[in-house]
Amino acid sequence: MNDLDARLLAAHKAGDRQALVALYTEAADGASDPAAAGFFLTQAYVFALDTGHPAAQHLRARLVADGREEP
Amino acid sequence: MPRSSMPADLSAVRRPIAEANGLPNAHYTDPAVHAEESRALLIGQWAGLAVAADVPEPGDAVPITFLDIPLLLIRDRDGIVRVFQNICRHRGMILVEEPRKIEGAIRCPYHSWCYSTQGKLVSTPHVGGPGQNTHEGIKRDTLGLIEVRSHIWRDVVWVNISGDAPAFEDAMAEVIARWAEFDKPLFHGGDDSRFVLPVACNWKLAVENYCESYHLPWVHPGLNSYSRLEDHYHIESPGHFSGQGTLVYRQFHGAEGQVFPDFDGLDPKWQTAAEYIAAFPNVLLGVHRDHAFAIILQPEAQDRTSEHVHLYYARPDTDAAMRQQNTALWKTVFEEDIFVVEGMQRGRHSPGFDGGRFSPVMDGPTHLFHDWVAGHLQAHRAPAPEAAE
Repeated sequence: MNDLDARLLAAHKAGDRQALVALYTEAADGASDPAAAGFFLTQAYVFALDTGHPAAQHLRARLVADGREEP
Repeated sequence: MPRSSMPADLSAVRRPIAEANGLPNAHYTDPAVHAEESRALLIGQWAGLAVAADVPEPGDAVPITFLDIPLLLIRDRDGIVRVFQNICRHRGMILVEEPRKIEGAIRCPYHSWCYSTQGKLVSTPHVGGPGQNTHEGIKRDTLGLIEVRSHIWRDVVWVNISGDAPAFEDAMAEVIARWAEFDKPLFHGGDDSRFVLPVACNWKLAVENYCESYHLPWVHPGLNSYSRLEDHYHIESPGHFSGQGTLVYRQFHGAEGQVFPDFDGLDPKWQTAAEYIAAFPNVLLGVHRDHAFAIILQPEAQDRTSEHVHLYYARPDTDAAMRQQNTALWKTVFEEDIFVVEGMQRGRHSPGFDGGRFSPVMDGPTHLFHDWVAGHLQAHRAPAPEAAE
């Protein structure tokens, strides 16, 4: 398990949804292939929506640009 | 235990009061009749669910199970109070388990489909496969939360779950008109002005007891010193509501003689008058020159009810200590009624009870309610007219 995986698991366990936005964004940015990036970006977006996080609109725009979300 | 799931003949209930019997025992003890009444009298009408003060800020959300139906009371981001069925359109999962603030979207805890506080489906993560959040078979604009028809009057959130009752303003036109003078801003007293009384009785018994003054000298003897039986009058609007009024209301006074501020613009008669109305089916309302209350009767089962009591004032800045004393006074009065409604409930298991009789003079408001119940049940049981060819 790498450090990011450990931090994601810890945030899930703590129910720290704000942290999950940043951690999944970090995972998306570091992903080696587009499919994995799309998965992580979606996770980040959902937790941003859930928490009213200011990054939600930017994350949504990235998903739309990738054809992964309704325009 | 006597049980009867066969619909009873209700014609005896609908006779003139001097000849009428009350509703048969099964209407208080039989789960099948309770289910029928729930559909006919509560789901199909405008029933009280909660008060808007339960969700004071945008994003406040309170799950409420009403007649076993999971509902969600929420104040949306624009401040509008709404009621939704508290389920995700995906797998029917309960969305909100505990009262809480919705910070952004309502996220289903199962697969994280997300809804706006206005009920719009805004995200369907991975619905088209990992990282693909759309699919042509999932039309989001057809999959919003199921909104329940609702209306706020006197801060009570009324719901018509079946969706086919007349408009609230029409269904409640008579009581709205009667109390038009009190159509003023109401300020909930806050946490010191709400309490819940669980009672072991059918919800209708609470209505029946509330709407008549006959019991006052016996059950509330403390009122005798200033509010005698002859100072009360019946309120009767057949098919709509019933209750009682008093001509000798006395304001509550604080330790130093202070009083609550009055509602503005009231007729002078309200200096000493007060009225108490059961707005059928399940909301008990009271108005006075200086405060008001609403009681939502939440049926829990055929023999269990929760009485949710809320007190309101004419100004937002009333004295907290006085409010607490006023709440305590009303709680004492309402608790005095518990032994009679619970006693009548246990009495409904007596096989010889025929629904009882009414005082032709004193029980008019109660008979009026029974007639309302019977009439709506008869209408509910009547076969639907065949569609025109």
